[in-house]
Amino acid sequence: MTTMPLSRRGLIKSTALAGGGFALAFALPLTTRYALAETPPETSRVTAFLEIYPDGTVRFLNPFAEMGQGVYTAIPQVVAEEMDADLARFIVMQAPVAPEYKVLFDGTLRFTGGSTSVRGSFGAMRNAGATARAMLLTAAAERWGVDPSELAVENHVVRHAASDREAGFGDLAQQAAALEPPREVTLKDEKDFRLIGQSPPRTDTPLKVNGTAWFGIDTKVEGMVHAAIRQCPVFEGKVASIDDAAARKLPGVVDVVNLDNAVAALADSWWRAKKAVDAVDITWDEGPLADFSSEGMLNDQMARVDETGVPAEDEGDAPKALRGAETVVEATYVLPFLAHATMEPMNCTADVRADGCDVWAPNQGADSVATLAEQVTGLPHDRIRVHTPYLGGGFGRRFIIDYAAQAMLLSMKAKRPVKLVWSREEDTTHDYYRPQTVVKARGAVKDGRIQATHITVVGDGPLRRHMKQFLADPDLDESVFEGLVTKPYQIEARRTDYVYHEIPVPIGFWRSVGNSVSGYAYESFMDEMAHAAGADPMDFRLAHLGEGSSARGVLEKVRDIAGYKKGIYDADGERRVMGIALHESFGSMVGEIAEVSIEAGAPKVHKVWCAIDVGTVVNPAIVKAQLMSAIAYGLSAALIEEVTLEKGRVQQANFDTYPFLPPDRMPEVVAEVLTLDRPMGGVGEPGTPPIAAAVANAVFQLTGERVRRLPFGRRELKQVEAEGATVKG
Amino acid sequence: MYRLKVNGQTHEVDVEADTPLLWVLRDTLGLTGTKYGCGIAACGACTVHVDGTAQRSCVLPVEAVGEAEVTTIEGLSPDGKSHPVQRAWVELDVPQCGYCQSGQIMAAAGLLAGNADPSPNEVRDGITNLCRCGTYERIHAGVKRAAELMKA
Ligand code: FES
Ligand code: FES
Repeated sequence: MTTMPLSRRGLIKSTALAGGGFALAFALPLTTRYALAETPPETSRVTAFLEIYPDGTVRFLNPFAEMGQGVYTAIPQVVAEEMDADLARFIVMQAPVAPEYKVLFDGTLRFTGGSTSVRGSFGAMRNAGATARAMLLTAAAERWGVDPSELAVENHVVRHAASDREAGFGDLAQQAAALEPPREVTLKDEKDFRLIGQSPPRTDTPLKVNGTAWFGIDTKVEGMVHAAIRQCPVFEGKVASIDDAAARKLPGVVDVVNLDNAVAALADSWWRAKKAVDAVDITWDEGPLADFSSEGMLNDQMARVDETGVPAEDEGDAPKALRGAETVVEATYVLPFLAHATMEPMNCTADVRADGCDVWAPNQGADSVATLAEQVTGLPHDRIRVHTPYLGGGFGRRFIIDYAAQAMLLSMKAKRPVKLVWSREEDTTHDYYRPQTVVKARGAVKDGRIQATHITVVGDGPLRRHMKQFLADPDLDESVFEGLVTKPYQIEARRTDYVYHEIPVPIGFWRSVGNSVSGYAYESFMDEMAHAAGADPMDFRLAHLGEGSSARGVLEKVRDIAGYKKGIYDADGERRVMGIALHESFGSMVGEIAEVSIEAGAPKVHKVWCAIDVGTVVNPAIVKAQLMSAIAYGLSAALIEEVTLEKGRVQQANFDTYPFLPPDRMPEVVAEVLTLDRPMGGVGEPGTPPIAAAVANAVFQLTGERVRRLPFGRRELKQVEAEGATVKG
Repeated sequence: MYRLKVNGQTHEVDVEADTPLLWVLRDTLGLTGTKYGCGIAACGACTVHVDGTAQRSCVLPVEAVGEAEVTTIEGLSPDGKSHPVQRAWVELDVPQCGYCQSGQIMAAAGLLAGNADPSPNEVRDGITNLCRCGTYERIHAGVKRAAELMKA
């Protein structure tokens, strides 16, 4: 049992609701840290809102956005656990913008991403549930004139066994609202959890099977007009001039607006707006990036792989060890720009009035939408309301809210509510891309062991670009080199150099961020070193992992569930190989084994086995679903996704030119969730980084070719014919 | 002016002949359960039934609909939950973000209407809708479960 003292009185406020229920505003100290901040947090105030109605319905205001990752289930699940409530009676809604909802990083931030929601708010949400339970219990004790210790709470009901009395939460709510919140609450012993660790049904599913789930693109506001947009195809370019005479004559058109770097048309339906904006004759001033090419930038990056950068890690003297080594392995990996391609394109509805504004914005950070609204509209903070709908995918794209600024500007111009929806083409060509990155790795191998590694990464990162304030040293942008450093492998001499190479086009956070790069490069290189050592990739990794470590536990587990086979084997008349990769990110360790064959010149991934160590699991079904999803996302990128730029323009536009994983290329996924000895880890992203390397490592054995540039679809692969053919690195 | 039969009701809509059915449903009739993903028949987010057959409404001009009966996700079952595909989807928690799922469900219902017991290959060939969240395995399991529920 953990007792949570409250540092001061009055942090919890309860208010009676008009309808006879009660609402609790919790402000509790966050005393449990879940491996997020480096420094121990000060006592912080953490606030959430629960409202209990007379019929027992609990309205829970969630500070996190639901984008498929399951926070509308897992977060209330944690609250309901401590509250001994019935999760089925929760209505989950999105919390408005208010300081109380900054529940992350010591009560300073609210965002949805970084695989952070559950692990970052676990303590706070448990406190919230326990406080509500204590107040309901006290209300029942007072009503019956008995000691609270004689009462039991179970499934939304308080019972007094001795007198055979019971009362539901709804019945007790009003009385509980009149109470002074307790000075301290007692959390359950983990062994008494009945809901945490289970997989209750998702709260959002019923709305997602009949079209009633509200996504941003579905927003309807009285008096609203629809907007379609064309942004300058060259980043940083501007509108030189427009001729909108023809567009304005089209049916339903309300206005054509020049936004300086884009042109929007407003009409009474989106289709009419789209036709109108397409009819505008725009002359662009293409600006400084008119000659930018991603291939040209790649050449520049490649030329810098041997530069000395900023050391992100420097243990032992790796360069010296490499100079003196007999066997040195070297390899350079190239990763392309990638688009997020959320199924729901960017969109936002804004209603800016003289006295205030409402913004309905799919977002991964409601506070930043509010701040942006202050800047764009000039209205004070308290006149701004942000509404966060269900997100049709986020994957990091909706941290950057460029579309919300556009919607606000259009509403200000039109003096009415405007719903702006980007076409798919606009969405693909104006993303904030996973940065194109080059990684060179060098390794010294002797007697089956790695003596030293020296890795250089050349690129630019989204943290420095968008959230510089969170970097202790702006030159050490961990969003570029994360996953290349602090590896679980026991290697004495290790150096990682970060060579900053400015990327002039938009870059952003793409599911698993730098780990999507490092997982592929590092784990491909592990196999290259294993090959140089003449060792099996599984044995080679295990030889470098400490007994009893999470990494070892995960790798052994995935080996066992896959029934790992060495080398090429026959299955269903095909030659197949199991490729391995292991990668830690967002506080979780993931091992994946991909069973691959070569079909029509491309890798065919039949099955993926995956083991994750998350430390503590709230909802195993959601974890497994997220692993499947993360594998699909990473595999899609590995197989077919690539954004290229020529003449400053993104060359891909819709799903015909930027395709992603179709159903017939989705492998079967077998996932196993482990809770070894580690703080609670994240779930939404860690499944993505290993998959590309697992496939590449299998492809190497099947074809003798090292795929060092993604995606695989760039070229045709040939299977080696002879059994056990020697392969060249 | 076009006369459209949608979910059992007749509507008069004042739109241009080439307006895709998708935008008539979403913006003119306010039926936003049907989603826009690509507008080029590449993803299936906009799938509805036209005379019982699953079709991608983003490339179906309103003038081509004629007298046909259009069914959207809102009209799939009277209570929004009792169609076997909806029941299976809830039972297996198929959706993630959910954005593609109206289209997936309409594609699945369309497939099962013509083939009550599809083989895994028939499901794979019959439902080609994209899902960025990678729910494909549960979609396939959901179709299988819905087929069982239909028999029961
Ligand atoms: S929106 Fe119709 S197929 Fe994509
Ligand atoms: S559930 Fe998100 S796109 Fe399919």
